Amino acid sequence: MDDIFTIIKAILLLASAVLVLLAALGILRFKDDLERVLYARIHILGVADGACILALLVLGEPLLAGAYFILVPFASHAIANGFYYGEDKQ
Amino acid sequence: MTILTLSEYILLAALAIYALASVRIATRKTIGMGLVGLAGLSIAVATILILVNNLYQIAYCKDIALALVLLGPVGTIAFARVLRGDN
Repeated sequence: MDDIFTIIKAILLLASAVLVLLAALGILRFKDDLERVLYARIHILGVADGACILALLVLGEPLLAGAYFILVPFASHAIANGFYYGEDKQ
Repeated sequence: MTILTLSEYILLAALAIYALASVRIATRKTIGMGLVGLAGLSIAVATILILVNNLYQIAYCKDIALALVLLGPVGTIAFARVLRGDN
């Protein structure tokens, strides 16, 4: 019989698997001819990032999860900022 | 097989599907889509490597995952600065 912490870990890993699958479905579902679809895809990327951070925490890598938790908002903002001033203005 | 191992395998399969979806997004014609796809691919591969480390006790996977987690967003930011241009 598994102890309670193992069951909680398994539930959290399954929850992050469901979130990752939903993100994979969502990132493919938007059509490319939609106007400014990149912002929607950055939003979906945030869901997958949160799920991966949760999975890294459960797998016993809190420093890796913390580093990614700090770095990923800067990356998402840089993509949106580059698109707004770069490709979207053209 | 314990319930934890089973859930780790399920997460591994979900991450593999997400990595394929990210590659598909990265092959779109605009640079922004490429950045979004590669940002998703880097964290998916890093989490897969940590799972492989847990499942099969391959220690160097953790080092590769650390490099991916730290350098993936840094590369994305650098490329996005190039995409932004001078204005």
